[in-house]
Amino acid sequence: MPLSAVKAVAKGQNGVGAFILQCKRLDFHYCDWAGSSKGMNAFIHKRLPQFARENPQIEITVSPRPHKHPVVTGHYINGREKAVCVRNMTTELILEKANLLKEASGEKLRRVNKPVTSVNESVRGIWSPYHGAQYKI
Amino acid sequence: MKRIRIQRWGSQFLAPRTQFRPQCPLRPPQHHLSPFPQPHSCRSQSTSAGDIFPPLDADESAGLSQQDEDVSIPPEALPSPPPSAALKSAKLAALHARLSLPPRLPIQTLARALVHESADPDPNFNNTSLAILGSNLLGLYTSEYLLCHYPRLPISVLFAAQSAYVGTKALALMAHEWGIESVAEPGGEVDPGLLQYRRLAAGAAWGEFAPRGTGRPNEQKGWRRGITSKIVYDDQFGDMRMKTPEPSQPVPLDIAAESFVRALMGATYLHCGRATTKRLFASHWLSRTLDLSKMFEFRTPTVDLSKLCAREGFEPAVARLISETGRASRHPVFVVGVYSGKDKLGEGAGGSIDEARVRAAVMALKSWYLYKPLDVTLPSDAEGMEPTKWKPNLVDLGEVIV
Repeated sequence: MPLSAVKAVAKGQNGVGAFILQCKRLDFHYCDWAGSSKGMNAFIHKRLPQFARENPQIEITVSPRPHKHPVVTGHYINGREKAVCVRNMTTELILEKANLLKEASGEKLRRVNKPVTSVNESVRGIWSPYHGAQYKI
Repeated sequence: MKRIRIQRWGSQFLAPRTQFRPQCPLRPPQHHLSPFPQPHSCRSQSTSAGDIFPPLDADESAGLSQQDEDVSIPPEALPSPPPSAALKSAKLAALHARLSLPPRLPIQTLARALVHESADPDPNFNNTSLAILGSNLLGLYTSEYLLCHYPRLPISVLFAAQSAYVGTKALALMAHEWGIESVAEPGGEVDPGLLQYRRLAAGAAWGEFAPRGTGRPNEQKGWRRGITSKIVYDDQFGDMRMKTPEPSQPVPLDIAAESFVRALMGATYLHCGRATTKRLFASHWLSRTLDLSKMFEFRTPTVDLSKLCAREGFEPAVARLISETGRASRHPVFVVGVYSGKDKLGEGAGGSIDEARVRAAVMALKSWYLYKPLDVTLPSDAEGMEPTKWKPNLVDLGEVIV
């Protein structure tokens, strides 16, 4: 066999072609008794139905967490989760936090230094001393 | 089996059984044709379109719906979630929206696509039939894309590329990227938005790894499987066909996830037609990156290249040194080009002249095999197109045989 093939798997790039939102589930936890859940309870009654309608791709669960601060938890496709404590927050602030969790990729936050990240190799290629103008010393 | 089939056992005492679950999607519900009320074995067909048709008269439909409500079979007794549970599942609705599936694809069908045959051996409720259709569609679309866009691709690389797009690993990876979660143990009471399958215990042997034989007429002679015979006798990836496992046998996650992706493709084709299916394929498969140039492994590239030049009537390939540095040093670099007459076919750099020459031959061969025509009309796109717009694709002679 003069020629054989190397097995590989095609890599997906989210957003090239289809876009899959990385946040798959948002959990809203509230407490009926504690004052820190006041904004959360108002959010669940007033704002959450509209938020769920605007984001059908996210599964939303609401559950009590008695005698604890209210929490919004996002579950992501990469298996990680992010939790934000929303104690004493108003409805608008909680909506902001929910949007933040929705738009997150689920990855750990890390500093991005390079303006472009690409799977394609550079068009110009790596600089080579043997091509182009030769320097004469 | 958990499910109790009272009807089947008792059928010898009853009138002949009529078709109870509608098999054809376009068949109206036939509950009223049954001579006896049969409430207990009734699991309404998941992908039945019978409900779309208006019932013959209102009284009958009212009676039917009451009868359906009377069916009180506990979900724990079923091997997979009933289709009625699909409408209540938040996970399923979210999955439908996340994948931007067309609204014409019913959520019940999506639920059915998630049921692997290891969870529910009943072919009316698992995804096997949809997966077979989806597998054929994926195979067709991928192979025609590869063959038309890279007409000179060698067969072994073609097999590997096919497997890179729609092989088990690739499809299982896609299901993972789509956020598919799986059940710990399948059953009628679990959320239908989870992948239903019976998972293989860690370290357990799996029967499907056993090939069922090469299928070739001279199998007992132990001849090697040649490339050409792979096209005829083996599956779409050039691998030996495997034994089909028992329907309720536990399987690895990869197999179940793969069957879901295939079934989704099949279901989209059945419900939404060819155009939507092609769009789904383009957005989820063709958008993936695969570097074909890294899939070649040549054994004798210089011989291949000279054979290729002889076959195509080019002047014999000659390697010439283009530049060099540090010949006497610890790390010299030579740049060698392969020429056919005045045309440079390829160029490579290496630590020795021989290495550079081989690299140059590999580059020349790759640039031949990875030729990409500019104008391509895929055969599946030509369905329903005006015949004048069809442009025949290039069919190449094939790879060099050494």
